[in-house]
Amino acid sequence: MSAERIDPREPVSPAVSAPVADAAARVAGVQIDGVTKRFGDATALHEAWLKIADGEFMTLLGPSGCGKTTLLNLIAGFLEADGGEIFVGGRLMTETAPYDREIGVVFQNYALFPHMNVAKNVGYGLRMRGVAKREIETRVAEALALVKLDGFGERKPRQLSGGQQQRVALARALVIRPKVLLLDEPFSALDKNLRGAMQVELKEIQRRLGVTTIFVTHDQSEALSMSDRIAVMSQGRIRQVGTPDEIYRRPLDPFVASFVGDVNVLPGRLERRIGETATVLIAEGRLSVSADTLEGIAPGAAVDLYVRPDAVRIAEGEGLVSGTVATHVYQGSHVDVLVDVAAARGGRVTVRVPGHGASTRWPAGTRVSLDFSPADAVAFASDVA
Amino acid sequence: MNKRPFLALFVAPATLAAIASAAALAAILQYAFRAYVPGSLNPGGLTLDNFFALLRPLYAQVFIQTVWICLLTALITLVVAYPLAFALVRTRNVALKSFLLITAVTPLFLGEVVRTYSWIIVLGNTGFINSVLKGLGIIDRPIQMMFTTFGVVTALVHVTLPVMVIMLSAALSHIDRDYEKAATSLGAGPVKAFLTVMLPLSMPGVVAGVSTAFAWTFSAFATPQMIGGGKVSMISTLVYQLGFASFNFPFAAALSVTGLALTFAVLAMAKQAIKPLEKIGAH
Repeated sequence: MSAERIDPREPVSPAVSAPVADAAARVAGVQIDGVTKRFGDATALHEAWLKIADGEFMTLLGPSGCGKTTLLNLIAGFLEADGGEIFVGGRLMTETAPYDREIGVVFQNYALFPHMNVAKNVGYGLRMRGVAKREIETRVAEALALVKLDGFGERKPRQLSGGQQQRVALARALVIRPKVLLLDEPFSALDKNLRGAMQVELKEIQRRLGVTTIFVTHDQSEALSMSDRIAVMSQGRIRQVGTPDEIYRRPLDPFVASFVGDVNVLPGRLERRIGETATVLIAEGRLSVSADTLEGIAPGAAVDLYVRPDAVRIAEGEGLVSGTVATHVYQGSHVDVLVDVAAARGGRVTVRVPGHGASTRWPAGTRVSLDFSPADAVAFASDVA
Repeated sequence: MNKRPFLALFVAPATLAAIASAAALAAILQYAFRAYVPGSLNPGGLTLDNFFALLRPLYAQVFIQTVWICLLTALITLVVAYPLAFALVRTRNVALKSFLLITAVTPLFLGEVVRTYSWIIVLGNTGFINSVLKGLGIIDRPIQMMFTTFGVVTALVHVTLPVMVIMLSAALSHIDRDYEKAATSLGAGPVKAFLTVMLPLSMPGVVAGVSTAFAWTFSAFATPQMIGGGKVSMISTLVYQLGFASFNFPFAAALSVTGLALTFAVLAMAKQAIKPLEKIGAH
C-alpha cells in the first residue's frame, strides 16, 4: 500500500483521493470534500480532501498556522467553510448547526465549566438533550468510570489536577456518544510523563469504544505513537496522508520528511532514472533509490537524499560517506553519534546506535565510514541551488 | 543600592493627593460633631445633636428614597447595559463595535450637567416626548416626567450606563470563548448556552457593575437636583440645600457621613446577599 499523494497544485478529485484502500472501503466516518476556508485575504485551508473511516484514529499533524485547527473547527461547526462539503456518518454537515452535529470536542484548555461540578460538567450534554434524570446519573457514572474518575462527581474542576481535568473533558465529550470525537492538542498542557500515560489511556478508550477520532497536534512523536493514519499539513494544505510508518519511512516531500522525525540530508546528483529506480550520485558513491519522489526531475539535476538517523550504520569497511565522530548524545535506550561529514547538509550526520556502547567503540575523533540501505533513503529535488 | 530609584518620585504625588482627601474627610467628620450656630459660618462646640436630628421621619424618608432610586437605577442600568456590553465584546464588525463604544461611552465625556440638561429637553412638558405624543394625538395633556422619580431614574440610568458597560465588557471579554463552544458542541443552542454558561460566568462582573452603579448613583448630585427640581429628594441634594442654602454645615456634614456609612452598609449587605451568585462564576 503506497502512501497517498496530495498534490498541492492540482485539486484531487474524491475518486483519486480514495486509494487509502482498506480505510475507504469501509463507511466513511468523516468525509472532507474540497473544503476551503479564508480569513480575509489569508487562506487558512486550501481545498482539503480527506476521508476518515468509521472508528479510525486520524491525526492532523503540522506546525502552528498550518490549518489543522481550522479544519477541526470547520468539522465541529465553529467556523463556516468558504467552499467544499463536510460529511459526518454520511450526513452533510454544511447546513447542520453545531449543536445538532453530535460531535464531541476536547479543547486544548479543556473548557470545563468552572461553575459546575464534575458530574454536572459530564452530564451537561445529556441535560441539553433532555435525557431522563435517572439515565443521566447512570451514564455520567459510566463515563467517569471509563476515565477512572469514579467518585469525583462532586468536585469542582479547579480542585482537579491537569490530568484529571483532561479526563473529565474526555468523559464529557464521550458521554453524548458522539459520531466523531475531536481533540485539539489535548496533551499540550500536561507534563511529559503524564502525557505519555494519557496517550496510552486515550488510545485504549478510543479503541474500546470504536469512536471515530480526529486528533490535532504539532507533536510528531505523539502523532506517530497514537494514530491509525496521519494527515501532515503545512501552510493550509494536506501534504501527505498515510499510516505512521508510511509517513515516517516514505515521506512524499522534504517538508514531511523533516517535520516528522529527525533526518539527515545528503546532497547529490540524479544520474539516471530507469522505470521506478533512480540512481543518485553522492560524495563517495552511488545508490539506487525509488524514483517515485523524483517525477519530472531531469538527470543531472541536484537532489537531496533524506535518511533517518536510525537507518544509518557505522560501517566496518567501505561506506557511502565518511567523517569524524564529533560527539555522543546518550539517550538511555540508544546513543546518537554525531559525525562531522563534510558532504552532508549542515556538515553533520546523526547516527542512532541502539544500546550504550557507542562512545567507547567510536570515541570522538574516530574516522568512520557511514552506510545505509538504499531502501531507507528518499530522494527529493534539491531546493538549494 | 536602591533598586527602585523612581519609587519616591511616583509615590510622592499620590501621597499628597491621599493626604488631601483624607484631610477633607476628617474635616467633614469633625464638622458632623459640631453644633450649628445660626447666622455664623463657624460651628459651635461638640455635640451629637446633628445625628439625633437625622432620626426625624422626614430624613428617614429621604434615605429610603435615595436607596430606592439607587437600586432601581443600578438594576435598570444592568438590564440596558448587558446586551450592549455583550454586543460590544462579541461583534467582529469594526464599524458596529466603534458605534456601540461611542454610544455607550461618550456620555462619560459630556459631563453630568450637560447630559442632564439634554434630558430636561427630552422629558419636559413641552419636551421631545410630550410634543411627539401630542403631535400624534395620543395625549392631549403633557405627561409629567420632570420632577418625578421616573424622570430622575431615567436620567441617572443614562449617566451610569457607561460605567456599567465598561465593567460588564471587561468581565465578558475575560470569559473564554471555548466555554461557549463546549456548550454548543454538547448540544446547547445559543439561548441555552447563554443561560447555562455565559450568564453564570458573568455574575462577578454583574455584581461588580451593580455595586459600582449603586455607589455612583448615590453620590450623583446634578441629575437629581435638576430633574428632581427639589420634588425628588436624595441625600446629595439635601446636603446641598442644608449646606449652601441654610449654611448649616454641621448638619450637612452629618448627613454626608451618614450617607457614606449607608452606602457601605448597603453594599456590604448586597455583597452578602449575592455571594452565592458570585461563587457561580468564580474561576
